Amino acid sequence: MSDFYQTGIITTLHQLGKPSLERLETELHEFSKIRPIALVLPSLYSEFEGPAMPGIVSELSKVKYLKEIVLVLDKASEKDFHRVREFMSPISTEVKIIHNDGKRISEIYETFARNGFNVGERGKGRSAWLAYGYVLARGRSDVIALHDCDIITYSRELLARLCYPVVNPNLDYVFCKGYYSRISSKMNGRVTRLLVTPLVRSLQQLVGPHAFLAFLDSFRYPLSGEFCMTTDLARVNRIPWDWGLEVGSLAEVHRNYSPRRVCQVDIAANYDHKHQALSADDASKGLMKMTVDICKSIFRTLASEGVVFSDGLFKSLLVSYLRHAEDTIMKYEADAAINGLRFDRHEEAMAVEAFTKAIGMATRIYMENPMTTPLIPNWNRVTTAIPGIFEMLEMAVDADNGQ
Amino acid sequence: MEDFINLILDPLKELFLKFKVFVPNFLAMLVILFAGIVIALIIKRFLAKFLAAINFDSWSDRMGFTKLMRRGSMWSKPSAVLCEIVFWLMVIVTLMSGLSALQIPAIDQLVNQFFSYIPRLFSAAMILIIGYLLSGFISRTVLIAAANSGFHYAKLLAQAVHTMLIVLILAMIMEQLHIAPSIVLAAFSIVFGGIVIAIAIAFGVGGIDAARRIIEKEASQKRDERQRDEIDHI
Repeated sequence: MSDFYQTGIITTLHQLGKPSLERLETELHEFSKIRPIALVLPSLYSEFEGPAMPGIVSELSKVKYLKEIVLVLDKASEKDFHRVREFMSPISTEVKIIHNDGKRISEIYETFARNGFNVGERGKGRSAWLAYGYVLARGRSDVIALHDCDIITYSRELLARLCYPVVNPNLDYVFCKGYYSRISSKMNGRVTRLLVTPLVRSLQQLVGPHAFLAFLDSFRYPLSGEFCMTTDLARVNRIPWDWGLEVGSLAEVHRNYSPRRVCQVDIAANYDHKHQALSADDASKGLMKMTVDICKSIFRTLASEGVVFSDGLFKSLLVSYLRHAEDTIMKYEADAAINGLRFDRHEEAMAVEAFTKAIGMATRIYMENPMTTPLIPNWNRVTTAIPGIFEMLEMAVDADNGQ
Repeated sequence: MEDFINLILDPLKELFLKFKVFVPNFLAMLVILFAGIVIALIIKRFLAKFLAAINFDSWSDRMGFTKLMRRGSMWSKPSAVLCEIVFWLMVIVTLMSGLSALQIPAIDQLVNQFFSYIPRLFSAAMILIIGYLLSGFISRTVLIAAANSGFHYAKLLAQAVHTMLIVLILAMIMEQLHIAPSIVLAAFSIVFGGIVIAIAIAFGVGGIDAARRIIEKEASQKRDERQRDEIDHI
């Protein structure tokens, strides 16, 4: 059981005691009549062959308060698409599958490109963005919840707790981020523990008090892929299509809404998903690529809010980060010891070294071209330039699903 | 015996003579077809480059033609579809020209009919394009005007106007193409007349109470204004 301490400038909704899932779902069922909910699932076909997806489908088939489920299927052939449709059939809620590699959706992407919209390379960011567009096009839901499809420890309680703060009309939240501990026999979540938090705190030390850094530091798990938001937010938010997706999305939320309307919620006692390799020697893949993209996103956001980055500041940042990260390792070593968790200090130190290298790379890339962070335009802009895009997207998805 | 042999040979000779006349015509048709298809391919390629240079696809997306194509389950690029249409039109024209080279009276008549139909096809296409743009513009105008004046069913009204205009345009196209003109005219009159009568009945009979309320409200507002005026003068 967690404590009830409120940290940072956003609201933290803890899991206190053992709240009844039945009560939560009953209330959600009532609230969803006023604020219908769409669940967006960005997925790869390979995830349907792994251990996570059967569990997720089995849990979702018990959920009664969702209006629609939009699954964006990537890296799938026509045959795979039909297999996934069959796979999702136990779910009683209406399920629409966006077949990213299908002819019609490819033509939709082509439409964006020829009208001057760079929607980026394939990945979670682009998939989520397209799914928001489809939900907005249908106009049936007021709230969008999103979670990954590789959660091995998935339970429908996660979804209920994620949706509740935004769906409950008495609470007035527009954005809710999920958080959880990442524990197996050891502590996981290296990028959040050893990169984001020490980096944000180092930046606070060097730049001074800053609203965005305080906002980012308020999140217990800023890189969690689970969140819930209003469709109004989905319409105005621009999101990055690379690994900077989570941090970039938070930056947009911070830009468009007051922190008073943002919260984080404890959605699971434990959470396990696919782990990324560190790839310390190759900055183009694994956690190194993720690190570079996240750092670029943070630098760009801060620059857009008036922070001036110089060579000197970046040099100090590397040193300051290293100090903060080393202190963090010591804290987690103690935490692991008292909880009887395996803790490889050398491995953690190696990760910090790799992250330091990646921050250095990100600073160089940023100094060469500060505009490199790729943001997908928001839907308001897209619909202005291509007035019929919502209808075309809806037709494409419905035609794919109607076959 | 000679007569009998002639009786057999004469039709064969006649057939051979006809064949001798036909073969050059047939070869001419093949040459026309081949040349026509080659020219059509070249024009298709040039047209594709030209359309790409003027950003035709993007223009089509903004004007709503792409949406119209998608409604008809066409999921290729608008420029690709236009190029295909032009190509196949040229192939058909070439085929007709080739067939006329055969100099067969029945086919000649068919070819003449086809060429005299082309202007109708062209004007029907123009009616479709201009009509579609105009109907979109008018329905948007109705939507904005109705929404600004606080009409609750503005979207429904705009959609109804759009549908009626599309029906009108389709009737005009069918009439232009001479496809069962009397049936089209009768069907159009029945459908349009039916809609007008339905609206008249809906407003005339179903809306009696609503109309009474509106008139009474107007009258009471005028009365109130008159009374207010008197007080203001005091």
